[in-house]
Amino acid sequence: MTLMESPRVRPFGPVNWRGMWSLYRREQLRFLRYGVESIAGPAITSLMFLAIFQLALGDRADPMPGVALAQFLAPGIVMFSLAHSAFEAAAVAIFHDKIEGMIGDILGAPMTPLEVVGAFALAAVSNATITASVILAIMAIFVDLPLHAPFAVAGFALAAALLFALLGVIVGICAERWDHFSAAETFLVFPIALLSGAFFAVSSLPAGVQWLFQANPVFHALEGFRYGFTGQAQESLVLAAGVVLTLIGVLGVLAWLLFAKGYKLKA
Amino acid sequence: MDAHSIFARPRDPNAMGAVNWRGLWTLYLKEVRRFLNVFTQTLLAPMVTTLLFLAIFALALGGAGREVDGVPYIQFLAPGLIMMTLMQNAFANTSSSIVMAKVQGNIVDVLMPPLSAGELTLGFSAGGVTRGLMVGCAAGLAMAIFVPMGIADPLSLIYHAVNGALMLSLLGVIGGIWAEKYDQMAAVTNFIITPFSFLSGTFYSIERLPADWQFIAHFNPFFYLIDGFRRGFIGTSDGEPLIGYAVVLGVNIALWAVAHRMFATGYRLKP
Repeated sequence: MTLMESPRVRPFGPVNWRGMWSLYRREQLRFLRYGVESIAGPAITSLMFLAIFQLALGDRADPMPGVALAQFLAPGIVMFSLAHSAFEAAAVAIFHDKIEGMIGDILGAPMTPLEVVGAFALAAVSNATITASVILAIMAIFVDLPLHAPFAVAGFALAAALLFALLGVIVGICAERWDHFSAAETFLVFPIALLSGAFFAVSSLPAGVQWLFQANPVFHALEGFRYGFTGQAQESLVLAAGVVLTLIGVLGVLAWLLFAKGYKLKA
Repeated sequence: MDAHSIFARPRDPNAMGAVNWRGLWTLYLKEVRRFLNVFTQTLLAPMVTTLLFLAIFALALGGAGREVDGVPYIQFLAPGLIMMTLMQNAFANTSSSIVMAKVQGNIVDVLMPPLSAGELTLGFSAGGVTRGLMVGCAAGLAMAIFVPMGIADPLSLIYHAVNGALMLSLLGVIGGIWAEKYDQMAAVTNFIITPFSFLSGTFYSIERLPADWQFIAHFNPFFYLIDGFRRGFIGTSDGEPLIGYAVVLGVNIALWAVAHRMFATGYRLKP
C-alpha cells in the first residue's frame, strides 16, 4: 500500500486552463472526425450558391460600383457558411451531450460555467473558421478576390463566428428535442443568415424595407467582412463593429447565466 | 386462461389474396405518421426555406423587368423551387426511414411480416410520395400569396409532380438500403441529391449554360422533372414535352426494378 500514493487534487490557478483545453480539444476532434461532412458539405453548398447566382443573375449590373457580382457574392456566401457552421457546431455539441447524458461529465468537472461556455464557444469558432477558410480558398480559384483590409476580414469573421457560437450554446441548452434544434435553425438562423444582404446590396432596396436588414446583426458583420475584401461598405465600420460586439456581450452573458443556473442541464 | 387453450390449434393467419392490402396499408400509415409526427421539421421547415429562397431572388432582382421563357423571372422561379423542395423531401423520407431502421435494428419489423418485395417497395415509396406532394402543395400555396401563379397545363403539372416524388422516393429507398451508416446517407444527400436538385434548372433556364453543358443537361432526368413541372404553370419549356414524359417514366420503371430487386434479394438488409 505504501507504494501507491493516494491521488491528489491537481492544483490549478484561477483559470482551469487544462480543463478548458481538454474540452476545446474534444470538440475539435469531434469536428475533424466527421471532416468530410463538416467541411466538404458546406463547401459544396457554397459553391452551388455561387454558381446558381452567377448563372441566374450574372448578366445584371454590378451590385456595387466597381465590384463584380461574384466578388460581391463570395464574401456573403462565406459569411453564411461561417455563421451556420459556428451555430451548428456549438448547438449540436451541447445538445448531443445532453440527450446522450454525457453532459454530466462536463458539469461534474472542476470547471466554472464561464470556462465551459468559453471552451464550447471557442471550439465552435475555430471549427467554423476552418470550414470558412477552406470555402474561401476554393472560391479564390474561381473568383478574382481582392484583399483590401486583411484585419477587417479576420476580425469580423471571428466576431460573427463567436456571435453564432454563443447563439448555438444557448439553443443547445434550451432545446429538449431535435425538433427544437431544427426549429431554431429553420426559423431563426437561416432567415437572419440568408436575409443579410449576402446576395444583394441592401442600399439598393426600397427605403421601406432597409431597416429590416439594418436590424439584422449578420448584415453588420457582413458589411465589415465584405469591406475587408472590396474596400467598400454601405455603412460605417464603427457602427458595424459596435453592433456585433454589443450582441456578443449580451449573448455571452445570457449563455453564461444559463449554464451557471444549470437551466435544463441539471436535474 | 382457459386450460385447454395450449392444446388448441394456432389461430389461422389473416386470410389475404394476391396482395396483402392490410399489410401494405399499415406500412404506408407508419411511413406517413412518421413524418407527420415531426411536422415542423418535415412540412413547415421546407416551406419556410423555400419562401426564403424566393425572397432572396426577388430582392436580388430588385424588381427589374427580367423575363425568362416569356414570363417574369419570379414566376419562372416559383415552380422550380416547389419542385426542388418536393424532390428533396420525397428523398429524405424514404432514405431516412430505411437507414434509421437499419441502424437501430428495427428493419426486421418490416422484413418479417408477410409483405412481398413489391409491397415493400410500394409501401415505402408511397410514403415518400405523400410527403413530397404535401410539402410541394404547402410551398405552392404559400408562394401563391406572393407570386401570381396560373395553371397552363394541369396534366403536365400533376404527371411531373407525382413522378418526381416517386423518382426521388425510389432513389431514397435505394440509397437507404445501400447506406450502412448515417454518414453515408448524409454524403449521398449532400453530394448527389442536393446539387442535382439545385443545378438542374431550378433557378435559371438551361439556355444560359454553355453549349456543352446544355447537351449534358439533357441527359439529366431531374432537368425533365423541373422543366415539365414548370410547363404545367407557365405553358412553355426548354425541353421537348414528349421526350420529358418518356424519360421520366423510363427512369421510374428502372428505379422501381432496382428497388424491388434489392428488397427481393435482401441486399444489405438480411444478414
